[in-house]
Amino acid sequence: MNKVWQVARQEFVTNVRRSGFIIATIAVPAVLALAVAIAGVFGGQMGKFFEETFAGKGQTVAYVDYSGIFTPPLPAYADTYIPYADEETAKAALLAGEISSYIVIAEDYLQSGQVTAYSKSSSFFSSAIAVSEENIQDFFTEHLLAGQVAPELQARVVDPLHLTPVALDEQGQPTSKGAMAFISTFVVPYLFAILLMITIFTSSGFLLQGVGEEKENRVIEILLSSLSTTQLLAGKILGLGALGLLQVLIWLGAGFALMSGAVAVFALSGLLTIRVSTVVLALVYFLLGYLLFATMMASAGALGSTAREGQQISGIFSFLSALPFMFGNFIMMQPNATLAKVLSLFPLTAPITMMMRLAVTTVPPLEVAISLVLLALGILGVLWAGGKLFRFGLLMYGKRPSVAEMWRALRQA
Amino acid sequence: MLAIETHALTKDFNGLRAVDGLDLEVRQGEIFGFLGPNGAGKTTTIRMLMDIIKPDSGRIEILGQPLQPSTLDRIGYLPEERGLYRKIKTVDCLTYLAVLKGMERRTARERALALLERVDLAEFADKKVETLSRGMQQKAQFVATLVHDPELLILDEPFQGLDPLNTELLKEMVRELHGQGKTIIFSTHQMNQVEELCDRILLIDHGQTVLYGPLREIQARYAPHAVRFRGQALPTDLPGTQRLERQEEGFVAYLAEGVTPSLFLRQLVERGAEITHFEVVTPPLEEIFIEVVEKRRRR
Repeated sequence: MNKVWQVARQEFVTNVRRSGFIIATIAVPAVLALAVAIAGVFGGQMGKFFEETFAGKGQTVAYVDYSGIFTPPLPAYADTYIPYADEETAKAALLAGEISSYIVIAEDYLQSGQVTAYSKSSSFFSSAIAVSEENIQDFFTEHLLAGQVAPELQARVVDPLHLTPVALDEQGQPTSKGAMAFISTFVVPYLFAILLMITIFTSSGFLLQGVGEEKENRVIEILLSSLSTTQLLAGKILGLGALGLLQVLIWLGAGFALMSGAVAVFALSGLLTIRVSTVVLALVYFLLGYLLFATMMASAGALGSTAREGQQISGIFSFLSALPFMFGNFIMMQPNATLAKVLSLFPLTAPITMMMRLAVTTVPPLEVAISLVLLALGILGVLWAGGKLFRFGLLMYGKRPSVAEMWRALRQA
Repeated sequence: MLAIETHALTKDFNGLRAVDGLDLEVRQGEIFGFLGPNGAGKTTTIRMLMDIIKPDSGRIEILGQPLQPSTLDRIGYLPEERGLYRKIKTVDCLTYLAVLKGMERRTARERALALLERVDLAEFADKKVETLSRGMQQKAQFVATLVHDPELLILDEPFQGLDPLNTELLKEMVRELHGQGKTIIFSTHQMNQVEELCDRILLIDHGQTVLYGPLREIQARYAPHAVRFRGQALPTDLPGTQRLERQEEGFVAYLAEGVTPSLFLRQLVERGAEITHFEVVTPPLEEIFIEVVEKRRRR
C-alpha cells in the first residue's frame, strides 16, 4: 500500500507542475470571468445596440395603403409609420435614399392579407429586418381591431401573455423564483458534463502520456522490478484522479465565485439553485467515468511502443466518449428517447449522457441505478483486461502487439 | 545461505523455449558472471528473478526465501533496457526509485546525493536528467541501482557506453561493493571484464547451461596444455613439446602428453636457460565462449 501511495504522490507532484495542467486549470475560469466582465461592462450598451439593430425600433416605416384601413395611422404609430400617397412617390423617396424601404398594402388586403415590402438590393439586410413580419405585426393588429373591440381586448391581443415559469419540487412547492432558475438547472449539469469530459481527458491523458514515456525511456523495467503492475496502475490512477478532482474543485470554486459575481452584476436571482443530488451524482459519475477511462488509457499507453502510438490507440476511446456531445442536441430535445437511454446505460458514454439527461429531465432512479451498476461492471472488466494488457504491453518494446497476441495475453496468466 | 538458487527454471514464449530447466546457485558475497550469446535467455532469466515475468515451472529462492515482493526491495537491478525519467531533477528521480524500493524518503535523498558525488555528478543533482550527457546518464543509472542499499545487485552491461576512465570508476565501485560483502551478478559480452571481476560464471545458450563453475577451473579445463615463457640462452632442442610457437610475448610450447609444466620448466633450467617469465597458458574466456557456443551450433 505504501508503494501505491508513493506512486500516487509522484504522479500528482510531477503532473501538477505540468504547464498543460496549469494552463487548463487557469484558462477555464479565466475565460468565464472574462465573459462575465464583458457582459457586465458592455451588457447595457450592447443590449440597446441589439435592440436597435434587430428590433427595427427607432426606424421609420414607409407605407402605401391601397386598402384604406391603415390611413391615417393611429396616434401611437404616427411617428414611425409614414403614409405615402402612391407607389411612385415611395419609390422615388427610396431611390433618393430618403427611406430605406416601404411596404405596399394591397387593395384586397382584408381578403388576401397581401403585403409587399420593397427595399434597395444593396441594403437588403437592414431594411428586410426593419419590415419583417414580426416587427410590423402590432401595427396591423391594432389598426384592424381599432374601434371593433374593447380597448382592453385590443391591448391584450397585441400583448397576449406575460409568462412566469415556476418549477415545482416533489412536494409541490415552488423550487425558486424567476426564469433564471430554469437556466441554472439546465446549464449547470450541462457545464458539469463538459467539465467532466475535459477533466477525464486531462487526467487520463496524463496517464496515457506518462505510461508511454515510461515505456519509451525504459524506466518501466526498473519500476516493475520494484512493485507489481497492479500497484503501479493503482498508484497512477489514484494520483492522477486526485489531480483531476483538484482541477474540478478549482473550477467549481471559481464557478461559484463567478456566479455570485454575476448575480451581483446582473441582479439576477435564483442562479445559484443547484440541486445537491445533481452535484452528488455528478461527482459519482465523474469518479466512475474517470476510473473507466483512466484504466483504458493506461492500457493503451502500455500497448503502444511510444507515447504517440499509445495516443493513436486511445483515440478510439476518446471518440466513443465524445459521442454524447455529437448527439447533444438530440439528447437535450428528447432526453427520454431510446437513443438517449441507451447512451446513458452504455458504460463508455454513460457519465456524460446521464449528466445531460439530468440537466433537462427527471431520470427515473431505476435507470440511474442500472447505469451505475453497468458502469461499475464495466470498470471491473476494464480493470481485469487492462491489468493484463498493461503488464503484457509494458514488456514489449519496439513493436505494437497484434490483436492475436493481445487475445493470448488476455487468456493467459 | 545462497544469494540466488533456481531449480529447473523453465519459460516458454509462444511455444519457443527461452529458458530450459536452469539450475543455478549464486553464493553470497561473490561476483557471478552471467554470460551467453544474444537471445540465449539471459534477460528472460533475470526478469524471472526480478518477478517481472512468471516462470512456467521451476523454483526460485532469493536470499534464502521464495520469491516475494519484500525480497525485491533488497535487490538492485540495472536492466539492459534502461532509462530514467527525463523531465525531473536527477536527485528526485533517484530518490523516487529508491523510495519505491521501500526506503525512507529522506534517507534515500541523502544517499542519492552522496552517491552522485561519488560518481562526480554532484553538480547535476538539481539538473533535469535530460540535460545529462549519455555517459552521465549511464552513471546516474548505475547509482539508481545502489541508492536503496541492496544486498544483491544484478548488473546487465553496466559499463556500456562509458569511456575508459568512467569504466574504471564504476569497476572500482563494484569492487568496493564486493568488499562490503554484497553479492553481484554481472552480465556482459565484455569477456575481459568478466575475467577481471568474476569469481564464478554461468554460460547459457538456448536457455540451457553450457558452462558453470569457478572461472579458473573452467579456464584450466579448456587450457591447451601449453606454457608461455621468455628468457635467455634458450636451448635449441626442447624435449616433451609437440609444437613451439614464437609469439610477441615470448614462446608458447604445446606440451606432449605426460609432460607437466613443472617438468618442462626443470628441463629448461637443466639445459642452462635463464628464465625471466614462465606461465601456464590459460585461454581467454572469449575463446572459450566462441568455441563452446560454435560447437553447440554445429551440432
